[in-house]
Amino acid sequence: MKFSDFVCQDAIRAELSADDKESVIRELVSALVESGRVAESDHEDIVKAIIKREELGSTGIGRGVAVPHTKHPSVERLVGTVGISHDGVDFDSLDGEKVQLLFLLISPPDRPGDHLRALENISRQLRDEMFCKFLKQSKSCADISQLLEEADNNQFVS
Amino acid sequence: MRIVVLGAGTVGTWIADLLCQHRHSVTVIDNSSENTQRINEELDVKGVTGSASESSILFQAGVLGADICLAVTGSDEVNLVAASMAKAMGARRSIARAFGPIFRDRSTFDYERHFRIDRLLSLEHLSAVELARGLQGPGSLATESLADGKLQMQEITVRDSTAALGQPLKDLSLPSGVRVGTIYRDGNMWIAGAEDHVQLEDRITLIGQRQDIVDVKDKFQRKADPKLGVVIAGGGETGYHLCRILEDRRYAITLMEHDPERCEFLAANLTHVTVIQADAQRRAVLEEERVGTADVFAACTGDDENNIMACVEAKELGCKRMMAIVQRPDYANVVGKLGITVAVSPRDVMAKQILSFLNKGPVISRAMLPGGNIGVFEIEVNEDAPATQYDLLSLPLPPSCLIIAVMRQDFVQVPGANDRLKPGDLVVALVDDAAAEKMLTLFNMKALT
Repeated sequence: MKFSDFVCQDAIRAELSADDKESVIRELVSALVESGRVAESDHEDIVKAIIKREELGSTGIGRGVAVPHTKHPSVERLVGTVGISHDGVDFDSLDGEKVQLLFLLISPPDRPGDHLRALENISRQLRDEMFCKFLKQSKSCADISQLLEEADNNQFVS
Repeated sequence: MRIVVLGAGTVGTWIADLLCQHRHSVTVIDNSSENTQRINEELDVKGVTGSASESSILFQAGVLGADICLAVTGSDEVNLVAASMAKAMGARRSIARAFGPIFRDRSTFDYERHFRIDRLLSLEHLSAVELARGLQGPGSLATESLADGKLQMQEITVRDSTAALGQPLKDLSLPSGVRVGTIYRDGNMWIAGAEDHVQLEDRITLIGQRQDIVDVKDKFQRKADPKLGVVIAGGGETGYHLCRILEDRRYAITLMEHDPERCEFLAANLTHVTVIQADAQRRAVLEEERVGTADVFAACTGDDENNIMACVEAKELGCKRMMAIVQRPDYANVVGKLGITVAVSPRDVMAKQILSFLNKGPVISRAMLPGGNIGVFEIEVNEDAPATQYDLLSLPLPPSCLIIAVMRQDFVQVPGANDRLKPGDLVVALVDDAAAEKMLTLFNMKALT
């Protein structure tokens, strides 16, 4: 599974303004609403679902990266987005560090395989230090899109 | 490689330590924060506190995208569930430890397949295989256990002139479960073909299931080998597995176990073993069971000190070959000095097994036959290995290479010409060292390095 299979280009946010965990999740889901991938009426429900999952264990996996995710029946296919917070957000991460780089994923409940493949792809790619570093330094959505495309072409992870 | 170890108990800690030494990136999950703290302090690993069967914990530990997940907690059920989840979540390989023998038995339910776990390991079974390895078969120069103890390789020197000599092998009507692998004559060793024949003073290797090997040996020996007397102390899982591995007519086995209920079980399940309810710690018992005249004494109770003492006693009484299960690494140094011939450490055995999984390629083991350039390979058939594209007959193997057996779903099969290898099969092959590389390309050796 590639980033291009689920990341919505026009929902990418290179400069997130939120400064806490819940609002940063809210901001990213709003981006998906604005791009037309998620209905406005489902916004709150999805945010709640993602937060509920976070309460069971943070998806902040360390090194300034978090992958908040959930399954929700309102989406027909996998939708995801990427956001950068240059100041960092406290995300209850494993290593206690603030999170700068967020990948948010929402999948339809009846596609569990695709959901896992997408999460796996994110996890694998984010293992690469350079990829993370370049993403965190991105100033524009175009920069981020280009990095994702390069990752899709296996330019980071062998 | 990125490895996630589930369980920071004795085995988990030991494995994590070993993997660190091999410069792998290791994350350890344990549900006791005391354990994760300790392992964080002692080793260069990342410790995560929580239950290994919780998806959030596995996610945090980076199971998605891990190369291997090793489930070695103290609970079989947790190991099964967690290893299965790890595999589904994207770990390339998933291995679980299971104590209960039923988990590795496929006759009623195939746990490995159902849970999609690459390998279910039993420490006790592995230890027993290792002990059996230390036990040389009578009249054999060397024996080697292959395919999880299901296949054996024995080397014999032909000293009797029997009717089988001088005839092409294909005319000997050997049982189908066994092959003459190599012939060594006048300083040369080669892989035996159908037209080859065996002469007096040749050294030959036989590979196959144990019972079949015995039948074939009879064709080359006029007198059957004398039985090897084996006394085993401790009828726990290890002792029981050891009996199952050795149980055939080449061995006269006595098994001592002090628990009467366990004895009932052992006696009911081991047909060719004499089960005695006795305490192997008592000298009088060892004398009575004539341990002094036994060829081999194997102590496999769960207690290191008892095992070592029993071996020392057995040596006193005149037994020549003593084997023991010794858990504590601190004792490794002493056991040799006490005259114990073979000491098997379950942790070492587990570690060896796990390191073999880390090999990037499909080769599970490689052993060279003494006195030649020919190796015995155990090779795993991977998904999309080129070898799965051909019938065996048309498989482009190099000339000095012979596929001896294929293990599929726990059953050893002698492959026919129209068979085709499947992913998950384990292939046992003999190959001349010079041709090994060429053969391995068929199993994706290159693609993986």
